[in-house]
Amino acid sequence: MEQPKILGIPIGPHATAEEPLPRVPHVYNDRSMGWVTQRICGIVEGPTPLWWWLALAFFGSIALIGTGCIVYLISTGVGVWGLNHPVGWAWDITNFVFWIGIGHAGTLISAVLFLTRQKWRTSINRASEAMTLFAVICAGIFPGIHVGRVWMVWFLAPIPNSNAIWPNFRSPLLWDVFAVSTYFTVSVIFWYMGLIPDLATLRDRASNKLARYAYGFLALGWRGGNRQWRHYEMAYLLLAALSTPLVLSVHSVVSFDFATSVIPGWHTTIFPPYFVAGAIFGGFAMVLTLMLPARAIYGLHDLITDRHIDVMCKIILLTGSIVGYAYCMEFFTAAYSGNPYEQWVFLRNRMADPFIFSKIFDVPVAPYWWAYWAMMSLNVISPQIFWMRWARHNIYVVYAVCMCVNAGMWFERFVIIVTSLHRDFLPSSWGMFHPTWVDIWTFAGTHGIFVSLFLLFIRFLPMIAIAEVKGVLPEADPHYQPPEKKSHPAHEAEVPV
Amino acid sequence: MKRTFQHPAEPKTGKKYWRSVEELADTPKFREWLSREFPAGAAELEMDGLSRRSFVQLMGASLALAGLGFSGCRRPEIHFAALSKSVEWSIPGKALYYTSAMPTRTGAVPLVVTTYDGRPTKIEGNPLHPASNGATTLHAQASILDLYNPDRSKIFLENGKESDRQKFDAYLAGLLPKLAASAGAGLAFLADVNNSPTRERLKQEILKKYPQAKWAVHDPTGSLQAEAVATAFGPGVTLTPQIEKADVIVALDSDFLGLDSESTGYTRQFAARRKPPKEGGSSMNRLYVVENRYTLTGGMADHRLRLKASQIPALTVKLAQAVANLTGNNFAVTLAEIPLPVDQQWIDECAADLVSAKGKSLIFVGPRQPVATQILGFAINSFLGNIGQTITGFTQAVSQQIPLPELVKAIQQKAVSTLFILESNPVYTAPVDLKFDDSMKSVTDVVHLGLRKDETALVSKWHVPGTHYLESWSDALGPDGTYVPVQPMIQPLFGGLSANDVLAAVAGLKIPQGAEVVKETFAKVKETAGSTADWSSFLRNGYLENSAPSPAALTFSGPLAAAVSPPAEGVEVVFPPDYKIQDGSYIDNGWLQELPDPITKLTWDNAALMSRKMADKLGIGRPTHSDEQHLESEMIKITVEGRSLEVPAMVAPGHADDSITLPLGYGHAEGATGKIGRGSGFNAYQLVASAASYFAVATVEKTGKTYQLAITQEHNQMEGRAVVREATLEHFEEKPEFAKTMFMDSHSPPNISLYKNPDYTSPERKSPEQWGMVIDLNSCVGCNACVIACQAENNIPIVGKEQVINNREMHWLRIDRYFASAEDEHNETEPEMVMQPLGCQQCENAPCETVCPVNATVHSDDGLNVMVYNRCIGTRYCANNCPFKVRRFNFFNYNERPLEKMKIGPLPESSGLYFGPLTKKGTEDLIKMQKNPNVTVRIRGVMEKCTYCIQRIEEGRIQSRVKAGASDNLKIPTDSIQSACQQACAAEAITFGDLKDPDSRVAKLQDNPRRYRLLEYLNVQTRTSYLARLRNPNPKMPGAGKVADIYPDEHAEGHDSKDQHQGEGTHH
Repeated sequence: MEQPKILGIPIGPHATAEEPLPRVPHVYNDRSMGWVTQRICGIVEGPTPLWWWLALAFFGSIALIGTGCIVYLISTGVGVWGLNHPVGWAWDITNFVFWIGIGHAGTLISAVLFLTRQKWRTSINRASEAMTLFAVICAGIFPGIHVGRVWMVWFLAPIPNSNAIWPNFRSPLLWDVFAVSTYFTVSVIFWYMGLIPDLATLRDRASNKLARYAYGFLALGWRGGNRQWRHYEMAYLLLAALSTPLVLSVHSVVSFDFATSVIPGWHTTIFPPYFVAGAIFGGFAMVLTLMLPARAIYGLHDLITDRHIDVMCKIILLTGSIVGYAYCMEFFTAAYSGNPYEQWVFLRNRMADPFIFSKIFDVPVAPYWWAYWAMMSLNVISPQIFWMRWARHNIYVVYAVCMCVNAGMWFERFVIIVTSLHRDFLPSSWGMFHPTWVDIWTFAGTHGIFVSLFLLFIRFLPMIAIAEVKGVLPEADPHYQPPEKKSHPAHEAEVPV
Repeated sequence: MKRTFQHPAEPKTGKKYWRSVEELADTPKFREWLSREFPAGAAELEMDGLSRRSFVQLMGASLALAGLGFSGCRRPEIHFAALSKSVEWSIPGKALYYTSAMPTRTGAVPLVVTTYDGRPTKIEGNPLHPASNGATTLHAQASILDLYNPDRSKIFLENGKESDRQKFDAYLAGLLPKLAASAGAGLAFLADVNNSPTRERLKQEILKKYPQAKWAVHDPTGSLQAEAVATAFGPGVTLTPQIEKADVIVALDSDFLGLDSESTGYTRQFAARRKPPKEGGSSMNRLYVVENRYTLTGGMADHRLRLKASQIPALTVKLAQAVANLTGNNFAVTLAEIPLPVDQQWIDECAADLVSAKGKSLIFVGPRQPVATQILGFAINSFLGNIGQTITGFTQAVSQQIPLPELVKAIQQKAVSTLFILESNPVYTAPVDLKFDDSMKSVTDVVHLGLRKDETALVSKWHVPGTHYLESWSDALGPDGTYVPVQPMIQPLFGGLSANDVLAAVAGLKIPQGAEVVKETFAKVKETAGSTADWSSFLRNGYLENSAPSPAALTFSGPLAAAVSPPAEGVEVVFPPDYKIQDGSYIDNGWLQELPDPITKLTWDNAALMSRKMADKLGIGRPTHSDEQHLESEMIKITVEGRSLEVPAMVAPGHADDSITLPLGYGHAEGATGKIGRGSGFNAYQLVASAASYFAVATVEKTGKTYQLAITQEHNQMEGRAVVREATLEHFEEKPEFAKTMFMDSHSPPNISLYKNPDYTSPERKSPEQWGMVIDLNSCVGCNACVIACQAENNIPIVGKEQVINNREMHWLRIDRYFASAEDEHNETEPEMVMQPLGCQQCENAPCETVCPVNATVHSDDGLNVMVYNRCIGTRYCANNCPFKVRRFNFFNYNERPLEKMKIGPLPESSGLYFGPLTKKGTEDLIKMQKNPNVTVRIRGVMEKCTYCIQRIEEGRIQSRVKAGASDNLKIPTDSIQSACQQACAAEAITFGDLKDPDSRVAKLQDNPRRYRLLEYLNVQTRTSYLARLRNPNPKMPGAGKVADIYPDEHAEGHDSKDQHQGEGTHH
């Protein structure tokens, strides 16, 4: 990468002295359509690399341990987790909200950015959508298994029955059920819709019969005709329009689980926008967490470009700052309201660390100060480095910040749930939460499931939307004139298969 | 049964179809036929009782012929009919109530026992008995679980090996002639303190037959009261303090509202005098307490002084001197120079207050304090002219008995060859210097009878499984001396013998078993009392009318010159019985083990209680907040006269410095307890010597080891939240509605609803009844009887120590205990202690109901927040959203889960794993017998909580409907339904009833100025409200200004303009 000059020209990676601010191409190095197809399909078609087997074995084992923990939980009782009487929800719902939050970036990238004509989305939307689905699967596990009587979970469904008992439509937990299942359904359809042209490409290129039949079956008879494309694009647009409000609704509804309650620290009207911003924040961090290694391993630097990373870092910076604002606003609300219960939760359950704030306010150290300050520093302070351009362009810095945000967003949910519950109104029933090994391994297990599914995804499906990327290539422009100097076959020859 | 069906009116238009010619004719006969539930055979069934009876007879006969009937007649001597033969007056599923009494050391608790299909399930007080208001003590409530303890003694043991009744009978048959030949030389009895006239009669018979036999009693609680009373007032006297008549009470190390009262009377009388004058009380009494640790009595004190237990004798001398000076009595006892860390003004003003209430005051001295101190207490009472006024008593025939040390001496002199130990466990409880277990080895024949296979049972030649008091006939004297029956409810479950059975056998009586032996005593008592009551009315009423002995003319003749030893220097260790398991006899009672100690909130263990200052001196750190829950307590080593014991230390606010309290009763030997008591606590008896049975000088050191304690309430402060509200009587009279304007309630704006809440307060409320509860914090002493009553009534499981450590206890009703102090809430030196019973508050606008996704918790028309267990899937959202945290989640299958830790395959036991599906599950049948059939036994994964005993409400409703018949008078009689907690409460602090019924007590209490509701500002509209607590300090006492002044009062002053009626939802 060229080092940009600060005041003098040039500044961008494609800038020249003559053209200081050129339109940055979506795909670098003037790659041709054929190169794109070859490169992306090559990942799926090539032999399975050894690292993939090792990674799958590792994460698959973790997924199995997690599944074993779930079996133990269901067969024995929720008591195998560390939950107790003031703290009725802890890691279960923390993990649920954490995964649901991660599941936000995918649909935001594919739907909202589609509607706003952000063409750079094309090279990251497929993987982010896949990530969304896998995260929602992981999220969906927790509300299902955390209940005391799993075998009665069907009571949540509005099934007409002889007792004439319906679910309680006033309960945010029921809204959750509807919101998450709708979100998952729409996301699956949206993702699969987008996959169809690429599945057809894989079908057409398949060298063995099994792959041809499998991809052929999934491609639903796609032939790439003009009429098919017209229908396809209209359907895609409609689904994007359908998904966009869901991006906002799902996490708003999840936030209602807390916002509609009476517990200080939960009973907060700022939660819906704050949760949505946090979800986008955490989701983008997870997208980068997955994409950066994939890009490095498969050499996709021309498709997932530095510009993509730069833009996503800016979104992380923006949403991280919104989240930081929300944290401070909660504080202000508690302080300004004069409500001693609210003030207690924020100051004395969360903020009063042993070094500074407990001394400033002359209060005992908050039991969960470490969780609160982990959240604050990981979520609010760490992304501020992205104000600096060099940080957005240094892969290692970006990756470190993304890992901070991933951890920080988990802590955010932990702080909201556990530190509010553990000391609420009556001091007599205050307690603490301590996770058991089952708590820890169930959470680790969902990571195993998540990564395993992602590994399967990149092995068997095109991780970048081939057709969409081609659509943003200069070649796709009807008025495109190929530069004479460059010859496409030469580029294609470079592609390692 | 004839039912009236409410057929809908025929539609006025349209065709009319008919099904039969009869219907078309519509004759009255046809209408009657239609309205019968069983038209075909109903006539025969309801003609009269005869034909139904003959039907039952035929059924029984055919069953017997079929061979099945043999199961019903395995014991020919049984007086109870097996229910397969259908008792005439027994309706399956309907409870029957019988009177009985629970024997205690100081006077039986008169009871009414609920039985279902022949099995007793619940114990209540006998409301007919003059000394009972239908309330019960904690231990009476819990005692039913001992009957069904799966680990109770079930088989005869001979030298530790299994034996049976026949062999024991044969042994006795061989023994008796030998004893008769020697006139009882070498025969001795050792029994627990028991005032049963039948036992006394049998004892006299035995002593008549075997004149040389010895009879010893042993009181493991270390009470010296009987000796003190006998010395001061003459032998045979039993005192009955008239607390109700006392205006000023001084308790010197006396826990007369807790440990030192084994019946409900003291609490009831005391609570009756805590009502402020405005509420019908004459005047409020004033209580001074001097004690080394917080007790329930100390919690009720208006002035409390913490003082080492060993300094209390000296304080008593000083108080006696002060009173004697003021009353002009001659008081000769002087101690040279008693260094007491007590403000002389405290003693002088206390004495002045006592003198101002001459004849209407009362001094209690702890029954374990030295006899001389107790006599001094009587002396003060006599100076004040209280004898015959507030202190009355009655006399009984004096019974010949020797104390335990004398018996041990006789054993050591080889003068005992046959020893009967009845319901006593001396190997465990005897003072350690007597070396009872070693001495016992020289006795050739030791016959031990007890309910548990305890330490003594293990080393006796014979162990006879004892019977529970609900299994055998006996009698007792109530707290006021009335004659009460101890009536069995069920045949001995495991064929054990009662102490009376064994005594009767030894006495060679012809009828060794059953009611006959009691009947004989009854006849004699009846004759003495001049009563005309017959046996059946005696059993029906549960006491013999007019059998209370007439008050004795008491004259104090105590030897005042008796030496009162000066207080010992250094650290003292005090050994009171435990609040829950007492002297250790309840060690296997799961309810009591898991019940939080009323003061320390400790479960499953005992600990060495000490002040913060003492802990600091020993280097015992303060637990930080983050390990509050998994409280690892440091172990200390207490050494008394070379005997030492390692126990976990626990800081107890309000404890005297240089003093350690170590409750007795825990730490039983391996094998001497059942599953429940195994490994529970530390044996303080190891430090108790006969000369220093209550307090001893000790050396204490830190060991560096730690021990995990299970405590249900770790946070002791209210953090200024005015959860429990209190004021002084003076403040209350000035500002009667003080409780309504405290904390948030003083300034939170009125709640304005954006939409209409379900309004249960309006006149057109749907149900004719609207239930509510008021808890008077001024009366509640925190005795915990309600908690166990709730547990027994509602089939609440115990969860075990590990689960309590993880805050998973299941009590639906808990008693919150807070320490508070005027200057600094976190002051642990001399805080005030307040109690608050807290069950579900039955919010009208319940936060739990809106959040349940499956409609498992809903509101009933009569204002209850009901819980539908079958519908609950266990999201725990309701519990999270409950501001009072009163909902309890069944994390494991606690009703089916064995308490002991699981060990499966090679996994170490310490792994703490519990493999639900792989573990042998199931409640033991014996425990199932206690379950209330009207309450669901909940499985795992279900939320549960208090529903104001909805089963009792429904029972009452059904009864009133049955009574109403076809009439419209469906009203449930006023105050006819009691919740279990209310019924058990001796202080009558809990009032439950219909808010809509203007005559009900609970409706009247709605207007009480002291009434307030918790978290009013949340607009949850709780149906349970509280009456604020009042204290009645003496303004002249040092520190009087700090009493009950535990909240920053600035809010209460500045916001008087606030609308008083806002948020008063159920206000009439």
